[in-house]
Amino acid sequence: MNEENFNPDDAKLSTLLRQSRSAHSLPPRFQESVWRRIEENEAPVAARRGWFEELAARALRPRFALATAVVLVLGGSLFGVREGQQAARRDAQTRYVQSVAPNSLR
Amino acid sequence: MKRSLLIIIVAVLASTALFGGSYLMSRRVCQACVTQSTDNLDWLREEFHLNDTDMARVRELHDGYMPRCAEMCGQIAAKKEELDAELHGATNITPIAKQKLTELAVLRSQCQAQMLEHFVRVSQAMPPEQGRRYLSEMERLTIGSHEQTEQTMSDHAGHMHGEH
Repeated sequence: MNEENFNPDDAKLSTLLRQSRSAHSLPPRFQESVWRRIEENEAPVAARRGWFEELAARALRPRFALATAVVLVLGGSLFGVREGQQAARRDAQTRYVQSVAPNSLR
Repeated sequence: MKRSLLIIIVAVLASTALFGGSYLMSRRVCQACVTQSTDNLDWLREEFHLNDTDMARVRELHDGYMPRCAEMCGQIAAKKEELDAELHGATNITPIAKQKLTELAVLRSQCQAQMLEHFVRVSQAMPPEQGRRYLSEMERLTIGSHEQTEQTMSDHAGHMHGEH
């Protein structure tokens, strides 16, 4: 930009600058809402809501409840399958040992 | 606070029920699926990764051993009956009862020796590494458990003697 062409007292330029300013209207109660959000951010979390209430509120959220239920069912099933396989293996081992070594010999 | 507590209690109970229910159901289903077979030798195939040829040899040995094992068990049971009859109502150990006890011990040791010989033969019918593992496992499960009982008894006896 050529600085020699810039004149702050230029009336035409001032008019153009004034016209270019947008005249957006603020939403209702904008100022109040801004202060409220600032206060909320500044206040400690514990003061706003205890961890217990927070946990209870989270448990009621459908997405969180569903995810927890899926994890629990999957975890329980995997654990059960593993235990079932081990129990079946022990049963099979006991059957074999009983067939070749009667209790009176053990 | 009260409402939150109630929600947490219900959530914990529901979680426990979900986890426990799925655990028990899958455990039962899995166990039932795996133990459908009634073949006593299935454990050998699975545990020692035996192929059909190995299994055929093992089965032949097993089938040959079972009648001899049953015969020995019959002799032991008969000797135990004789000993029980001798001990019944007796207030002291008679020489005949002592003789029966000795005969019973001899029969048991013969039966154990026969059983160990069978384990050795079966282990030789398996691939070498699996055979060694089988032999060690069977000794642990049969003679080993007997030794464990004796060890427990000797520990207990030592403890009792210490009290005197």
